[in-house]
Amino acid sequence: MSSPTGNFRSVHDAHDPAAARALHGSAWARFSRGVGLGFPIFLGYLPVGMAFGIIAATLGFTPFAAALCSATALAGAGQLIALQFLGNGSAAFGVLLATTVVNLRYVLFASTMSTYLRGVSLPTQAGLSFSLTDETFAVNIADHRAGLATPASMAGVGAIAWAGWVIGTLVGAIGTHWIGDPSRFGVQFAMPAMFTALFVALAEEWRHVACGLLAAALVAAVGVLGWAGVHIDPSWALLLSAIGAATIAAAVRREG
Amino acid sequence: VKASVAQSTIWVVIAGMAVVNFAVRFIPIAVVSRVELPRPIARWLSYVPIAVMGALVASSVFTPDGRLANPLTSASLYAVAITALVYRLSRSFLGATIAGMGSFVLLTHFVPFFAH
Repeated sequence: MSSPTGNFRSVHDAHDPAAARALHGSAWARFSRGVGLGFPIFLGYLPVGMAFGIIAATLGFTPFAAALCSATALAGAGQLIALQFLGNGSAAFGVLLATTVVNLRYVLFASTMSTYLRGVSLPTQAGLSFSLTDETFAVNIADHRAGLATPASMAGVGAIAWAGWVIGTLVGAIGTHWIGDPSRFGVQFAMPAMFTALFVALAEEWRHVACGLLAAALVAAVGVLGWAGVHIDPSWALLLSAIGAATIAAAVRREG
Repeated sequence: VKASVAQSTIWVVIAGMAVVNFAVRFIPIAVVSRVELPRPIARWLSYVPIAVMGALVASSVFTPDGRLANPLTSASLYAVAITALVYRLSRSFLGATIAGMGSFVLLTHFVPFFAH
């Protein structure tokens, strides 16, 4: 590769100083830029990580075990569902199956992300895939579409997100008693709020908006099925709705 | 009050989750970045992110507890609208997230209509 950004295509001309810094600055400058981009994720992960830490502590996790779990799994919804299964007395196998199903969407995210990571070395890909979450994915994809993302900036986004998740977990697990009910801070809406902002960020083209709304409609339709007595697990409903909407959107648009 | 889980189970779960969650992310990245994707699949993948975000937001509005709820009486619907508007105007993830959480708290605590 002749340029430091490898095969990352730039849609900006060479005279845009911000774009030039983003693409051709030092590795540290690009990493720091990623940390800045990921800072909202850090703040969003703190309260949700705290919720995980609190619940984990009540189930018998030591603060170290809870923080280690967050540091090595980095799987928000997947970790919370695991606690739910543990709390219901499920065996380890059932817990792992639940977290796998909930996080199957990462297969889709990773496949999408991989198209931007051609020509990147395997160890770098390993590091970047470790920090792949809903939020880092959406931030990095938006940055890629703007033509500004590099492996270093993606590492910065991942690092700051990871820090928020682990610190939040640790604070929650240690401070279980004096924090009390985290819902009074609106914690349960932190993730939906972030997903909403990311939806708007990704919705630049009407075909994408239509696809996203179709996925939402399918989720509602599956909910109606549940009301009619056909119960489908929420994480499966989410996964199938997203796959269905993307498939329909791709099938309708044959050209290009 | 939930029962305490055996420490051995906790450690097996921590180790298993680390492996599983890395595998579902790393294997597709390692494989798909090394093969040329057919155009229809590449096109399909371009729609996946927005579809997943739409489905994630919708499940918090329509099926907050895994079962269908009337979205019009759910604070989530209105908090989602406020979040989207704030992001649209400010282009700030942080501002939009805080506005969403704040409006959710205000709606559920101070508007009797939305209290469960």
